[in-house]
Amino acid sequence: MSGTYTCRWCRMSTDAPTLVSCPTCGAPVDVRDRVSDSGWYELPAIPDMARLQFGRSYCQIEGTYVPVADFNLTGDDGVYFTHHLLLWKDAGVTINPMALRGGWSRMFAGLPLLMTQAHGPGHIAFSRDAPGEVVPVPLQRGMSVDVREHIFMVATNQVQYDWFNTGVWFQTRDGDDTETHYPLGMYMDRFSAPGAHGLLILHAHGNAFVRQLAPGETLLIKPTALLFKDSTVQMHLHFEHPAGTWRSWRSWGERFVWLRLTGPGRVSVHSAYDKFEDPGNALSGSSPATRWQWQG
Amino acid sequence: MPLTPAEVWRAIQQQRTGQGGRRLDTGTRVECQWCRSQNAPDARSCFTCGAPLDIRNLVSDSGWREAPRLRDMTEIHFGRSTCQVEGEIVPVAEIALGAGDWVYFEHHVMLWKDESAAMSVMPLSGGMKRAFAGMPFIITIAQGPGRIAFSRDATGELVVLPLHPGVELDVREHAFLLASHSVGYSYVRIKGLKNILFGGQGMFMDRFVAGSEQGLLILHGYGNVFERMLQPGESILLEPGAFLYKDASVTMQVETQRLTSGLFGGSGMNLARMTGPGRIGIQSMYVHHHTED
Repeated sequence: MSGTYTCRWCRMSTDAPTLVSCPTCGAPVDVRDRVSDSGWYELPAIPDMARLQFGRSYCQIEGTYVPVADFNLTGDDGVYFTHHLLLWKDAGVTINPMALRGGWSRMFAGLPLLMTQAHGPGHIAFSRDAPGEVVPVPLQRGMSVDVREHIFMVATNQVQYDWFNTGVWFQTRDGDDTETHYPLGMYMDRFSAPGAHGLLILHAHGNAFVRQLAPGETLLIKPTALLFKDSTVQMHLHFEHPAGTWRSWRSWGERFVWLRLTGPGRVSVHSAYDKFEDPGNALSGSSPATRWQWQG
Repeated sequence: MPLTPAEVWRAIQQQRTGQGGRRLDTGTRVECQWCRSQNAPDARSCFTCGAPLDIRNLVSDSGWREAPRLRDMTEIHFGRSTCQVEGEIVPVAEIALGAGDWVYFEHHVMLWKDESAAMSVMPLSGGMKRAFAGMPFIITIAQGPGRIAFSRDATGELVVLPLHPGVELDVREHAFLLASHSVGYSYVRIKGLKNILFGGQGMFMDRFVAGSEQGLLILHGYGNVFERMLQPGESILLEPGAFLYKDASVTMQVETQRLTSGLFGGSGMNLARMTGPGRIGIQSMYVHHHTED
């Protein structure tokens, strides 16, 4: 291999002439791309012990079933992470809480109240307690991605963290009771790299796939299967009623709750998603949504 | 005529125990990097622990060595018995027990067995304490001849640990899958209220001791398993739920780091400080134990 190599997963280019795996995201370069006929690109299994470079530090991916992200922090480099992902650390690595805005809202929404940051020098390692894949998402300067809650593992200090209201909800009525449902969660995490290139690491339950949507191209996905999307991708609800069920969308009946994603941008899903409990009661309201009743 | 792996292994065992046996030069053996057992030079996997011998070790830059990924259908040998490892995502340990050999195991890990494999219960001391601490109240014995198979109900790896004579190993509760008859079983009480409450092990840990004869211990680790050797005085901080096993010489002390967020109080992060000398094993899909939320 010679010249510049551009990774199919993270799209970062590197001048290294001989590579086994992408130095930015760890995706192997010596395997054939796995792209489904429908256009989904499967995250190639990161070779055990692959190293991802950022700043003067690097992250080594260890294991395959429940992979570990082992950071070797040097100099001023640091990372931040959510509370229950720390696997082990050198005694010399310092950890301290990171200030977050909107504590009450986060607590109310079930989001982690604390983000913890770590500074080197030394090693610190993270893993999530579920089988799946570590998904490195290198962020080039100016890039921004939205991540579903409880997917985020760790990010380097160059990555800016924020969160926003998804605006995706619907209400059902059962007698006098009205219940509000958030198929995506009430909030999503937003990660951006305003000043410099940064590394974001997520954990996918099962396998991870990514697909590029062209401007105006749409796709329906299970809301809980969403892993991340580019911030340019728009989303809203779509209700679908199979043929043979009640005709009125406001009445009780079998229904599928979809998330419609509209390009341009990347969309990523994971294959082992949570079950979303839709009580099936009559809809009494929702965020902007479309609906479709199949005819028998 | 070249020796078979079984003949090489038998000759090495005879020499080790002073029973004579065929003399082997160093060119006729290869050492397993996982369990340090000697093997025939053309062996693809270790006769004693099943670790592949023809692929390089996976060691991270931080010094963690990944537990060997056992090939499907690999055979491991102990006494007059063999263990075949089947499957990769939730592997099964299938034991073909020779006459006179026996293994013991926790109650809920048995997958299937031949009718001929006799079952009995191991007498244990401190039954009330064990029941109170949530440890298995009954350890069951299966005696050969016959086949019996074990697995735990979670994605992970079998960690095959041949115990050389004199080795003492502490294992987190409910991680042990089975042990051969030559491995002594007891338990140790965890000292210190903080270690009990926040150490993620409960009140007791299993302790396995090899007597004068080498024995086989098989654990199940959730996710991937890594091992690291700590030098005397060297310490590392672990998520307590990630702890899987350690040499008895390694000490464990839980430390709490307070993380506050102003008005919302905050949380304590409990980490177990493991101090050498000795090896420690961790699992990447750990059991999270509550901190002081």
